Amino acid sequence: MSRVWSQIAVLAGKDLAIEARTRQTLGLVVVLGILIIVVLGLGLGPQQMAPAPAPGMGGAAAAGATPGAAPGAAPGAAPGAAPGVAALWVAYLFAGVLCFEGSMAVERHDGALAGLLLAPVDRGVLYLAKLVTNLVLMLVLALVLTPVAVLLFGFDLSPAPGSFAAIMAISFVGLAAVGTLFAAVVSSSRLQGGLLAMAIFPVSLPLVMTSTQMLIRLFGQKSASGLSGLGILLAFDVIYLVAGWLAFELVLEP
Amino acid sequence: MSTLSINPAQDWPAADTVTAPVVQTQGLGRVVDDRVILRDIGLTLPRGGFLALLGANGAGKSTLLFCLATLTPATSGRLLLFGREVKKDAARLRARIGMISHQAMLYRDLPALENLTFFGRLYGVARPAQKAAELLEMVKLADWRYEPPKNFSRGMLQRLAIARSLMHDPDLLLADEPFTGLDVRASRQLEDLLRQLHGAGKTIILTHHNIAQSLELAGRVVVLRRGRVALDAPTGSPALAQSVEEILVS
Repeated sequence: MSRVWSQIAVLAGKDLAIEARTRQTLGLVVVLGILIIVVLGLGLGPQQMAPAPAPGMGGAAAAGATPGAAPGAAPGAAPGAAPGVAALWVAYLFAGVLCFEGSMAVERHDGALAGLLLAPVDRGVLYLAKLVTNLVLMLVLALVLTPVAVLLFGFDLSPAPGSFAAIMAISFVGLAAVGTLFAAVVSSSRLQGGLLAMAIFPVSLPLVMTSTQMLIRLFGQKSASGLSGLGILLAFDVIYLVAGWLAFELVLEP
Repeated sequence: MSTLSINPAQDWPAADTVTAPVVQTQGLGRVVDDRVILRDIGLTLPRGGFLALLGANGAGKSTLLFCLATLTPATSGRLLLFGREVKKDAARLRARIGMISHQAMLYRDLPALENLTFFGRLYGVARPAQKAAELLEMVKLADWRYEPPKNFSRGMLQRLAIARSLMHDPDLLLADEPFTGLDVRASRQLEDLLRQLHGAGKTIILTHHNIAQSLELAGRVVVLRRGRVALDAPTGSPALAQSVEEILVS
């Protein structure tokens, strides 16, 4: 078992070392993510954006006092929470797809994947290593994009930062599980370009919808039932982790 | 000279032994979308053999090599490496196989030393950084250890690929058209390296388009034609080059 963990560490370490040297993926996805959030913020209109703080008041307090809650939000809902969460997820999705694509593209240059497949490493371990790489990339992405969305949409994470982190972490595992598997499928085919997004978006819809609704309940409506979709997220994670582990061997071609 | 023999009907050894042939295939075939790539390949290659695998484009050379490397599954027949069934033991057998190809199978942005060290760690090599440095010295790339392969010439890249394939000290070296794109000097260096490795006891299978060079390097030649073995002979016969050429152009 320790050999498996050390192989995962070696493989993911290689991917992250390459990314640290080239910054090919992160440089692109961070800029794209920020652009998506800003464009969505501008498109949704000023009533969804963070209000200017009143003198002597913090931004979050001002947001709570502003009568401009999202359409359909419950009475007392914090303005900016619903559009902010939605904008965040749109950014995570699009930027995430580029992360998955980028992490697999590394293996496609100069037959590097064949070199990897020649090694005495279980294909499932290769899948888990790519998953770890993608999760690290998405974590870095989230560390940049979340504050941008919070500032721009003015929703307050302070009531439940732990729940936010937990929901996002579980959602990212599911999204990366799907993305890693499909990125390998797409990279093995001649059809690339937008195919990965077309494959990932419909499959991850249950995950994204559940996660978004949980976050809106948690921050928009400050409801105690904010964690009620946790079972769906965990089931999604388990199903796609197992599917990825088992199917990776079939989809990888040198 | 190697002593390759082809005998599709031969009996199989019951267990893996130190003396088991490195490669044994029986009725090996591969069909993709109703297209026959390999058909009824039966060959046995003992330890220390040097086999040149020749054939026209699309004859099945690379597919056979990829099957032997456990990268591509055969759709029929049996394949044993070191006396073990590949279907049952592929992951463990891979630890004894090295492969070079016209592609470097390296990470273009990772410095040479880090590239080799990475593969060494993956194979569980003891002191991988030290082994990588030794191999870089051997292939005369020690001065380039901190340079990424994307800055290398074709010849340097091929030498680095050889170093990668030797990181885990494999018993079987598969070389898939390794001379592609090399100039005369780099080609001569690669020849010397292959001779050294053969002299050190490695079993080598080489696919190549240059008949003269193949016959000079290898102890035995197998020519594939439309996925079948069309010729199997020891090298050294003066008329062999012409026979091979006739099969290739027919």
